[in-house]
Amino acid sequence: MSNQEEALVQNAQDFEEAEGKQSIERCLTFESGGLVMFLSTEYVTEIINDYPITPIPLVPSFIKGVINVRGRIFPALDIRLCMGMPQLEYTNKTCIIMLNIDSTVLGIVVDSVQKVMDIDLNQVHPIPIKRRQKLLDGMVTVEDGRVLMSFDYKALASGQYN
Amino acid sequence: MDNGMESMLDTYLYETNSLLDRLDEMLVADEETEDFSTDDVNEIFRIMHTIKGSSAMMEFGSLSTIAHRIEDLFFYIRDKGISSLAHEHRKELFNLMFRSEDQLRGEVAKVESGSPLSENIDAFTAEIEGFLAKISGTGDSAGDKAPEAGTSGQTSAEDGSALPDDPQAACFIHIFLEEGVGMENLRAYMIVNALKEVGADFRYYPADMDTNSDTCQTIIDSGFFLAFDDQESTAMAEDILKTQNHIRSYEMVEPTASAAETPAPAAEASASQPEKPASAPATPAASSTKQESGAAAPASHAPVKQSLISVNLSKLDSLVDIVGEIVITESMVTASPELAHLPRDSYDNFMQSARQLRKLTDDLQDISMSLRMVPISGVFQKMNRIVRDMRQKLNKDVRLTVIGENTEVDKTIIDSIQDPIMHIVRNSMDHGIEETAEERIAAGKDPQGEVILSASHSSSEVVISISDDGYGMDANKLLAKAREKGLLTKPENEYSQKEALGLIMLPGFSTNQTVTEYSGRGVGMDVVKKNIEAVGGTVSLTSELGVGTTITMSIPLTLAIVTGMKVTVGNSIFTIPISNIRQSFKVRNEEVVLDDCGHEMVDRMGTFYPIIRLHRFYNLETEITSIEDGILLWVEASDRSYCLFVDDLIDEQQVVVKSLPSFFNEFGLKNAGITGCTILGDGNISIILDILTLYMAAIETI
Repeated sequence: MSNQEEALVQNAQDFEEAEGKQSIERCLTFESGGLVMFLSTEYVTEIINDYPITPIPLVPSFIKGVINVRGRIFPALDIRLCMGMPQLEYTNKTCIIMLNIDSTVLGIVVDSVQKVMDIDLNQVHPIPIKRRQKLLDGMVTVEDGRVLMSFDYKALASGQYN
Repeated sequence: MDNGMESMLDTYLYETNSLLDRLDEMLVADEETEDFSTDDVNEIFRIMHTIKGSSAMMEFGSLSTIAHRIEDLFFYIRDKGISSLAHEHRKELFNLMFRSEDQLRGEVAKVESGSPLSENIDAFTAEIEGFLAKISGTGDSAGDKAPEAGTSGQTSAEDGSALPDDPQAACFIHIFLEEGVGMENLRAYMIVNALKEVGADFRYYPADMDTNSDTCQTIIDSGFFLAFDDQESTAMAEDILKTQNHIRSYEMVEPTASAAETPAPAAEASASQPEKPASAPATPAASSTKQESGAAAPASHAPVKQSLISVNLSKLDSLVDIVGEIVITESMVTASPELAHLPRDSYDNFMQSARQLRKLTDDLQDISMSLRMVPISGVFQKMNRIVRDMRQKLNKDVRLTVIGENTEVDKTIIDSIQDPIMHIVRNSMDHGIEETAEERIAAGKDPQGEVILSASHSSSEVVISISDDGYGMDANKLLAKAREKGLLTKPENEYSQKEALGLIMLPGFSTNQTVTEYSGRGVGMDVVKKNIEAVGGTVSLTSELGVGTTITMSIPLTLAIVTGMKVTVGNSIFTIPISNIRQSFKVRNEEVVLDDCGHEMVDRMGTFYPIIRLHRFYNLETEITSIEDGILLWVEASDRSYCLFVDDLIDEQQVVVKSLPSFFNEFGLKNAGITGCTILGDGNISIILDILTLYMAAIETI
């Protein structure tokens, strides 16, 4: 972490000193199905919206289909449907976040993208509900008091969401 | 392994494999005549030398050692001439060479798969050495001073061309004159004088060549020597020698090495891969043969410059991809709706340029596709070897006739048809051809069996057929066997001859009770069929009892581009390969016949075909659900034929096939008729259907 980036961190200064170490990641936050989630920007290649998705038959409904990004074809998954929530009409706020996770490239459809912020990964706590979550692997409280969920990108890429 | 090393390994594997292919080709051809031509002996020697050198460089010890031993062997053979070998030795030599080739290939395969190389190859190298000892033991003419034969170093001594005693000399040049020039001693002396004129400092042997005409015979037999004190004057002398007439060949000889060993490296070898003196074997004294203008070609190989380069396949793939994109983008531009706003004049101008562009992109596409095409001869060549091996093992006299080996096929297809062809050829050899020549004579056939391998083009397909003139297949036996195995799906007497023969391609069918080394392992024709169908091809079989069997495979020329018919179902656009479509038609409700489960069928030319409603099978929303509103496509793939119900036809278009993202692998879409997708002119994606697997998924699983 460079000093510059550290300077950007305004939150949780006390905690960092208390814990003695920190691990700050630049993360993208987005909203889907009423939850605000975050994901390291390391895995985000681009954000696109208003894009035609070609449905593929015979696959679970949360796989919306395939998209053509500059001549290459990638799958697109709807996070809402992944979490078992009802389908929402796609609006101009609906975005596709393109992810590259260990060279698996795919797009996730989210209700809206919020912003990029720094999050100290050491502050992320496990979710205290034993029932296995499909797509989340932790939660964190940020300085404005909001609670963000950590998006489990690995589960997504390895197909553990079923 | 870093990148540089990896690409070196790639090059090494490519080179070594092509050298081994070349070796195989020569061995099979030469075995026919039971003789190596001088050219081939030199070629084998050169191949082994190259493999030895590059393997040593890559530190593949076992490969290098084996190649080294064979090189030694061929050094001897090259020197003595193949004619010096006794008949039984030649046979043994061929067997030994085939086994060596297998051994080398085995090691190369290990390199490819990244497994460790064989540690212990002593037994094998000992065998080669033993053979060399044997032939050199018997091959030596009387009075030869060769001691324990078997090492590589005998040759120069055996010629009687031992180096003259000159302790000062740093380097010798050993010169042979052309045969039959006459007055050899004087010609040699003229060369010596020519060298003296330019001020070279050297001695020559025989020293009395100018005065003693008896030296004539010596020079004819074993050439003459020039001795130099240092390398510079040797190099200078070499330049002069190149300008001299009547020299058949010359070679540089290092006195230290040659005293115990042999003639040392000549130009080509020393340039590319310096030998370690300690382990240096006989490096090919590639006689840099000089000839006067118009003289007959020398016996040794002149290096032929090939105008070929090897290119990484993935680069070609991306080229083909990009060209595909260009073709699509071109049609996007020329079909753009904005063009309608152009004034008339500019529109005409635009279209004129666009047509020119279309022509160029078409050419570009053709060329880029042709880059991937390789002749099928490589695959056929391997069959030669298989036939040869099996001929020996099974003790059957069979010849392989190859037709159309220059037929070109896409590289990816070549890779996937090799195993099927090999399997069929083995079957033909093992089960097709009669056990004994007597049996064949009794049946009124040529005692020598024949397997014909042929390839040819027909429009967009390549047709490969493998036929034998053996037993042929007995449809009744096949039926009985299928009944025994419970593979029959309808009463026996309803099977036509063609259908009965087709039974052999069912999984779990093998009429031969005994498993041999070559065939009958349970994985049989069904695997062949599956492999061929995987590349979009079909297999058919004809056979006449007592006359023979022919298996024909039709395979599309390329997998990368298909001409497809675009159809709509709801909001989706599907692409169906044109080659699968027989007819499109509309039907009235009353023409559709139902079975007891409600499956629909329709009559086409006297036969009923099932109807698959695409929207129902794929669960797509569409307004067109009545059979009268949509359109039926009569499609056929392999031996399956049925009708597809779709909303509407759009048009025919060439599309570049792209595979679906690997993310979808787990959903088994390939087994549900979806082989890939393509990007349409407007940027939308269309799914490409596979008619055969769609049938299996929709009909056979019902």
